[in-house]
Amino acid sequence: MTQFVQVIILGLLIGGVYALLAAGLTLIFGVMDVINVAQGALLIFAAFVAWTLWKDLGIDPLLGVLITTPLMFAIGWAMYMLTIQFLAGKPASMSVLLTFALALVIEGTMGILWSTTYHASTPGYFAESFRPGAFYLPKAQVYGCVIAVGVLTALYVLLRYTWLGRAIRAVSENVTSARLVGVNPKKVAALTFAVGVATTGAGGSIVSVLYPFLPGSHYQWISRLLGVIVLGGMGSLPGAVVGALALGVAETTTATYISPRWATMVPYVLIVVVLLARPQGIAGVRLREDAAL
Amino acid sequence: MRRLRWVIAVLVVLAAAAAAAGCGGGGGGGTIKIGASLPLTGDFSEPGTAARQGYEIWQKQVNDAGGLLGKDVEMVIKDDQSDQNIVVTDYNALIQQDKVDLLLGTFSSLLNLPASAVAERNKMVYVEPAGGSPEMFSRGFKYLFFAQQATAPHQADLFADWVTNLPEGQRPTSAAYVIADDPFGGPVADGIKSKLEAAGVNTVYSEVYPPETVNFDAIASAVAAKKPDVIAQGSAGLSDGVNLDRALIKVGYSPKQFFQASSPSFADQFSNAIGIKNTDGIFYAVSYHVDAKTPGNEDFLAAYRAKYNTDPPEDAADGYAAAQVLQAAVEAVGEVDQDKIRDWLHSNSVDTILGTLSWDETGAPQQAFLLAQWQNGNEEIVLPEEAATSTTIVNPKPAWSK
Repeated sequence: MTQFVQVIILGLLIGGVYALLAAGLTLIFGVMDVINVAQGALLIFAAFVAWTLWKDLGIDPLLGVLITTPLMFAIGWAMYMLTIQFLAGKPASMSVLLTFALALVIEGTMGILWSTTYHASTPGYFAESFRPGAFYLPKAQVYGCVIAVGVLTALYVLLRYTWLGRAIRAVSENVTSARLVGVNPKKVAALTFAVGVATTGAGGSIVSVLYPFLPGSHYQWISRLLGVIVLGGMGSLPGAVVGALALGVAETTTATYISPRWATMVPYVLIVVVLLARPQGIAGVRLREDAAL
Repeated sequence: MRRLRWVIAVLVVLAAAAAAAGCGGGGGGGTIKIGASLPLTGDFSEPGTAARQGYEIWQKQVNDAGGLLGKDVEMVIKDDQSDQNIVVTDYNALIQQDKVDLLLGTFSSLLNLPASAVAERNKMVYVEPAGGSPEMFSRGFKYLFFAQQATAPHQADLFADWVTNLPEGQRPTSAAYVIADDPFGGPVADGIKSKLEAAGVNTVYSEVYPPETVNFDAIASAVAAKKPDVIAQGSAGLSDGVNLDRALIKVGYSPKQFFQASSPSFADQFSNAIGIKNTDGIFYAVSYHVDAKTPGNEDFLAAYRAKYNTDPPEDAADGYAAAQVLQAAVEAVGEVDQDKIRDWLHSNSVDTILGTLSWDETGAPQQAFLLAQWQNGNEEIVLPEEAATSTTIVNPKPAWSK
């Protein structure tokens, strides 16, 4: 029983980290219909920046979030202005092509800047755990979850209670009407994309502490994050959280009670099962265009 | 796609024509031609480039000392781009067009599998520097020789023998095996398992994981719950080894003896990733160590350092050793006769910088890898004694320092 609870704890903790990493991806899709395949590469890029700040300036990766977040915001804004904006009106599949190309460019750039060897931030707590009773909670994962809660709350508040948030939702629902009431759709889209990319600042800092990484690591992350948002319902923030936690728990319970051999596979089986029962994902919304299917 | 095929076909024809024009004749004269293809670009470019350095240092030393059988050695080295199809084309070209007198192998089991088949078909001796997968030696080849100490299932033999011969009271009673689904890492862990089980060490955990696994928390938690004395991991690369170590540190479980197949050999990439103090006591196996007191190592080291201003990587030493094996056989036979060279290698042993090597009828080497251990932040050879760089073995492994 103790072991079972421990396995669930470990699954929820890593799921919390997945939620943090998937938040920006689902925001960008939900508002802009852009599947940002470069999100994983941006995440690793932020991890390299956090590592550099830690290694060269002694800035703790968690504190480094305060630097990486605005930096990634700026990079996201520039990416939108230079490339993504030309996708307006094109099908979502075009965004996969464009952002995959961007991912390759970012991967190559990281190889030049930081070489293709493994890097790892190892601040004092990187392999420590909190030990309440018979259980243990790895500190890096706990901090990742705390930051996830912070980032997701901030995103929720931004979308619900600010003028920008209302503008973002207005643009996602009806561009023409939004323009009529004085919203500049291009500006709003640029800000949305930049906010989505800015979340990789916090995610990358945590990733740099959790696992060794190299420029090519982004492939394994983007595949898992796409799994999270498909499971949760593409474009839904609460869905991404539920999907991430479900994926984390599925991974750890499979590794413990079935076999580690299946642990990387079962989450995708779970996705297939959920999508058969609920094609829009756990918390996804059925749109009018889906009704025909 | 069809047009791309045409372009490639034209390029191949042009390249073949150029090769034929450039090196008609071949063989004979005052030189001995040795051909090899190496992965100088692509996935294996790092070890492939190192192996070429090893071949070239050997070539210069031999020529400076009067050549092979009194003739100058000429090396023809092609780039197979880490591609199984290109490596076959390359070895065919070396034999048919370049008409090389002797062959040396390429790098990795993946590339040596098809390349050695070309050599076998042409009845040419094929000494390969790196390719220890069991599949290499299950095909009944007669001209194949692997110039390292042992195949993958025997990579950790010294570790297994040492563990099972510990004095009563220190000898482990239980072991956990964490095994990558990998052609190299997997057989290493399986090899340890069969030896320890034969010695009565109880297997309390044995699971295979996909090499791309990142999150080892659940595995470490399950292993720790069994409290094994020994943990042996057949790691596939750096990251799966590091991630298991980190997960074990987090759960707070340190075994008495800990062996990992490949991860700890990544030098400072390994120590940086788990913290240098946490490396203490971790075992792994290597074919070569710069401080090894093996025959000829001093000359090799001096030549390598003079040319590249750094210590040779393991892969360069492996290339050099493969060339040493071929040299010894050719000199002993006294002529370039493939069948005689083959027979000589099957019935003799050769002194190399990796130690003395000999082979069974399949070309699999019969020796043991060096057993290495991290001690005080340094990589030390602890067994066998004649090659050891440290006289002590850290045992039991100290607790993680966090």
